[in-house]
Amino acid sequence: MNSPLSLNVIRERLTEVVGVEHMSVGESAFVVSPADTEQVAQVLRLANESGLIVEPCGADTKRHWGEEVQPNLFLKTERMNTVREHTWQDLTCTVEAGCTWQNLQSVLAQHGQFVALDPLTPERATIGGIIATNDSGSLRLKYGSLRDLVIGMTIVLADGTVARSGGKVVKNVAGYDLHKLMIGAYGTLGILTDVTFRLHAVPRHTRTFIFASEAADSLGKMLISILDSQFNPQAMQIRFDGASFWLDVQLAALPEVMEQQANSLPTLAMEFGLTMSDASDTIWSARQDLFADTAAFIVKATMLPSGLAAAVAAVHSLGGTCVAQASGILTAAIPADQQSGIQSLRAVLEQDGATLTILQNPANSILGRWGRLPDSIDLMRRIKQQFDPNRILNPGRFLGGI
Amino acid sequence: MSYATESGEVQSLSDAVLRQFSATVGAGGIIVELNQRQTYECDGLTAMRTVPSAVLLPRSRDEVQAIIRVCAEHQIPFVARGAGTGLSGGALPAAGGIVLSFARMNRILAVDFPNQRITVEPGVINTHVTNRVAAAGYFYAPDPSSQTVCTIGGNVAENAGGAHCLKYGFTTTHVLGLEVVLPTGELVHFGSPAPDAPGYDLTGVFVGSEGTLGVVTAITLRIVKRPEAVQVLLAAYDSIAAAGQTVSDIIAASILPAAMEIMDRLSIEAAEVSVHPNYPVCEALLLVELDGSRGEVDLQMQQVRALCRSNGAWEDRLAQSAAERMLVWKGRKAAFAAAGRLAPNYIVQDGVIPRTKLPIILEEIAVMAAETGLRVTNVFHAGDGNLHPIVLYDASIPGQEAIAVDLSIRILHRCVDHGGSITGEHGVGKEKQQAMGYMYSEPDMDTMQLVRCAFDPENIANPDKLFPRPRLCGEKSGPYTLHPLEAAGVAEYF
Repeated sequence: MNSPLSLNVIRERLTEVVGVEHMSVGESAFVVSPADTEQVAQVLRLANESGLIVEPCGADTKRHWGEEVQPNLFLKTERMNTVREHTWQDLTCTVEAGCTWQNLQSVLAQHGQFVALDPLTPERATIGGIIATNDSGSLRLKYGSLRDLVIGMTIVLADGTVARSGGKVVKNVAGYDLHKLMIGAYGTLGILTDVTFRLHAVPRHTRTFIFASEAADSLGKMLISILDSQFNPQAMQIRFDGASFWLDVQLAALPEVMEQQANSLPTLAMEFGLTMSDASDTIWSARQDLFADTAAFIVKATMLPSGLAAAVAAVHSLGGTCVAQASGILTAAIPADQQSGIQSLRAVLEQDGATLTILQNPANSILGRWGRLPDSIDLMRRIKQQFDPNRILNPGRFLGGI
Repeated sequence: MSYATESGEVQSLSDAVLRQFSATVGAGGIIVELNQRQTYECDGLTAMRTVPSAVLLPRSRDEVQAIIRVCAEHQIPFVARGAGTGLSGGALPAAGGIVLSFARMNRILAVDFPNQRITVEPGVINTHVTNRVAAAGYFYAPDPSSQTVCTIGGNVAENAGGAHCLKYGFTTTHVLGLEVVLPTGELVHFGSPAPDAPGYDLTGVFVGSEGTLGVVTAITLRIVKRPEAVQVLLAAYDSIAAAGQTVSDIIAASILPAAMEIMDRLSIEAAEVSVHPNYPVCEALLLVELDGSRGEVDLQMQQVRALCRSNGAWEDRLAQSAAERMLVWKGRKAAFAAAGRLAPNYIVQDGVIPRTKLPIILEEIAVMAAETGLRVTNVFHAGDGNLHPIVLYDASIPGQEAIAVDLSIRILHRCVDHGGSITGEHGVGKEKQQAMGYMYSEPDMDTMQLVRCAFDPENIANPDKLFPRPRLCGEKSGPYTLHPLEAAGVAEYF
């Protein structure tokens, strides 16, 4: 820290802003919990002037994603946890960044609505962290990613500027979509304090069907075939659980229609030599379960749907387990001694424009987190430079040292 | 506010610069004759015109890059142009600037059915994408009314919508990757064949940036499997409010139609005269399209019809064939052009309100229109609250154009007052720059400027658009101040 102010003065100022009970001094950093956007702005203004490195924190469920940051100040969003409004007639809601995913969804469920996304650890993960890491789950196939669901945001920049982006209406093309820039930016451009989502009605009838196989290949063909069909599943994934390969398909339809579809799926499956069985919806937490293996590498690989089966087979050959969603996102747990295997897999993927990111890096290996840098990296650096010229927000966490 | 016309007739580029441009595209690819340049002086917003200094017609990405490099070297403003159908002046040239026409970059580069994507050049016409993939049972979802002529490049610049974005999303939902020439002349790729390429979502911020961040040279789009069944219902009402209530009831019943549109009496009559869609004659027409699996569509259509009846629809007619459905949509999509039959001149506006404010805003529009003595006809994407009030006037009557412009802007302000937006799909462009200042505070716009400065530090990419006043990179207003509406307690957040 290279601050013109003494630590004591900074502490006093921070205390003035958030109140003594919401500010503490940890081993190496201040820990502050601002109550609202204005307090976040004041804290950041002070940090920016004093050169304090700031790490925004929600529930710390994904803190190890991205390169490590050595902050002087943890900014916790825990007190900003209210669902501000749920205009159910307009299918929108506005929620503060520190609210947990589950709390938000339980409020929305009172009117049979939800944000159509199934991120990791919903019971603890916060809105802010989910957006900062652009997390998404199996529902992405039908409803899209956060880019399609976030319609507005309040952002506090490093210098304390408060900017509103988007609004409360789904359709809006006025100005730049700053909120899209914030999604997946790992907290390097600003701190978001509240978010407006578009909502969907919770589907009333869903059923999950699974198909087992001894190889991933036939499941991959079946997956492509279903994408090209009228089944219109809301979720679909190829899974390797250490013993078998599976294709999981979740349909959402009116009961009368569901019956028909459930009857015709096995016919399609026969073309690929597969048989169908019913399954419980709990298999959709398989991606979550991969993270339980804290001794393993956890990687996120993204690819075209047609490349999923081969990637699943590759993970299998590395002794790992994985869930590959039809949207083209594969999450895998791979044993810690397979560093070179992961490197080769990454090289193969990158040849086809696919990517591999290391989320959990148990061995503190020398494997880079982000893989090959895109040709737009210079532009990304210029954006960072514009938004956070003093580099106080999560410096070094993002790719290319951003 | 009134519209102004800048003259760009005098050639402001030196012979040396023109020779440089000429070298990038060859003699056949540059237009310098005044009468030919005049073709490019405006887009769909014909009230504003500036003749460009030159028009360049590149055939390839490399030629685009070479042109932008010349622009960057001499700080010459440029604007990309597809079919020139934009309604907010997005393709209006800057004085002393050039136009990059994509008329010759209209190739479909690759189609990948298993992965449901297609890669095209920016000059490809919207419906040509669907035409290319239709035989395999696919379509390209965003369908602006001008889709038979407008180009994908323009759609990307404006984040174009259309009637079916209620269910299928906007252009941004369907753009997977972009090849872009930045205003600095760098060639970069945003996104990747795979989702979630590591790094900032540059595709997300670029789509809808109205040509102010660079020029696209290739676009990878998502294509969508055509649903098994489609049904279109026409319901006739005695009041717009009743039609609007039906829309809310359909949403409340957890039904997500592919499209829900409302037209008022004037628009119905104009459409009837122009393309004879055989609409029922009524105060308000609600058009509901459902698509999906056959069983689902049948069941939901029964529900929708019941909701129409319970809200007082005296006719609910199902289009009986694909041809009938097409005619229904033809009538709706001809609504803007048909306004020309109602008055010598008209302004199409593009406000958005939260859907539940529909009855209030329509009443307010009626009152405001009555005060000015002008007629306003309404067609709108009712499902997502996107209004297209069409202000009718006669420019030959002195002063009437100014009154019409003022009225259309005041309608937008009311949309913002209700928590909505000044534009749902047409863009800000040159037309609504001042209204941006009504919707966003200075710090909001300063923050958007940070993005522009990262992309276009010299401010040559479609300059003087979007923002209410020109800003230099590095310039910034003071700390956050309350928006006037916030201070008045009218609204908390925009």
